[in-house]
Amino acid sequence: MTGNSGGPLFSFSGVTGGYGATTVVRSVGGEVSAGEACCVLGRNGVGKTTLMRLLTGHLPLQSGSVSFDGQPLDGLPPDRRHALGLIYCPQERPVFDNLSVRENLTLMAPAIDEGRYAAFFAAFPILESRMTQSAGTLSGGERKILSFVRAVAESGQLLLLDEPSEGVQQENVERMAGFLHEAKAAGRALLIVEQNLAFALGIADRVIVMDHGEVVLAGAAADMTEETLAAHMHV
Amino acid sequence: MDPILTTNILNVVYEVSTLAVVVLGLAVVFGLLGVMNLAHGEFVMIGAYCAFFVQAQNLPFLAAVPLALLVCAVLGLVVERLLVRPLYARPFDTLLATWGLSMLLREAVEAVYGRAFRSVATPLTGSVDVFGADYPSYRLLLTVVSIALVAGLVWWFVRSATGRRIRAVVNNPELAGSVGIPVTGLARNTFVFGCCLAALAGVMLAPLLPVNPTLGLDFILKSFFVLVVGGLGSLVGLISGSGVIGGVESVVSAFLDRTYGYTTVLIIAILFLWLRPNGLFPRT
Repeated sequence: MTGNSGGPLFSFSGVTGGYGATTVVRSVGGEVSAGEACCVLGRNGVGKTTLMRLLTGHLPLQSGSVSFDGQPLDGLPPDRRHALGLIYCPQERPVFDNLSVRENLTLMAPAIDEGRYAAFFAAFPILESRMTQSAGTLSGGERKILSFVRAVAESGQLLLLDEPSEGVQQENVERMAGFLHEAKAAGRALLIVEQNLAFALGIADRVIVMDHGEVVLAGAAADMTEETLAAHMHV
Repeated sequence: MDPILTTNILNVVYEVSTLAVVVLGLAVVFGLLGVMNLAHGEFVMIGAYCAFFVQAQNLPFLAAVPLALLVCAVLGLVVERLLVRPLYARPFDTLLATWGLSMLLREAVEAVYGRAFRSVATPLTGSVDVFGADYPSYRLLLTVVSIALVAGLVWWFVRSATGRRIRAVVNNPELAGSVGIPVTGLARNTFVFGCCLAALAGVMLAPLLPVNPTLGLDFILKSFFVLVVGGLGSLVGLISGSGVIGGVESVVSAFLDRTYGYTTVLIIAILFLWLRPNGLFPRT
């Protein structure tokens, strides 16, 4: 990290885009600083996943800008963003189904680094016991855990997680939250899309609520009550 | 063993293994890029002309290998950048574009060498005794080299880090980019690799074929039939497809004649398209 004089690590403004000529996300802005978590909330189908795909370079921006550590990311393909330190866990198809659990974890590393994964295997022993099994045989929640572990164990400074807790058992959701608190404490920045309000509010420093592709509420998580958020999410 | 039977078996193995080399290049490109390169046969043809060119210059036959690889790698790079990449995720447009490219390449070669059949001298003459059958040495060598090539590539694909990354991209292209696989570069390299494999097949087969500009058409059709029969999902499908198409054609050709061999293959392909359009081993 070059340490961009205290500015937010990741910021985006006026982000507008969608699929082909269809605009799904309109003029969405936000920022995340090192050691901070921002949660994007909203009902199903309001454009949260589309926003994540726009930010990670999987969809082209129709307008707006995204910058990481003070550098604009315009037009950079996903692998170049990854190299800069953007680590992304998609909501759908979060792992390589045809590769084994071990191959999923070591795809970009020559040999599995036990130190890197030891804490995760201790928290999620199911992964270690399924190392040689193909990831396609895991349950939906287990795939989410595998994807989560792959991402959090990487060294990139920004984690973008799209519904990490979806389908994951409560006790494992709590363990995930523990790892995310550690990541924050280590100075990493988190941008998380979530449906699970309790999980989101347990981690978030800032909250963005979306509806119909736009931001309808944004601010510090401490200023929001669960009732206010629930009201905005279910209207 | 009956020498005629032995010869026929060796012919089947020869047909299947050389066909597998040609189809492998086509299938790997299709698997990774979703691009059916209809000019694949023309890269085989260019490889064969490289062998002809080298012999016409009185150079050793093996000099054709680096020449064909170089020519087809450069051509593959240009085609990938100017034709395949701009049409990414537009399969029908890609079909049309590569079909046009195949015509262009045929005409270009015809402009230089004309339509006449050229012959390339076999670098390895004579025959060897295989279980009592007198089998041409070069065909035997070619069979062995083809099997080794396909086996080596399958092993590499399953075991190497690059092979794993290719399988990851095929399975989940979006996630592949996000975990840091340079998908565009990998796609380019794979396309060039497919072209080089076709070129290599062209050099190897040149001494056994009437070298002419339309040589590639036969290969693209047969390769297409192999993928129809075997399915696009896996290497197992590819090899079994090559087995069915190459095997049936050489057996029927041996007992009747080549026209019947070709007709039988065509009927099998039509039956598959009709009754089992995803092939023997469909992509899941």
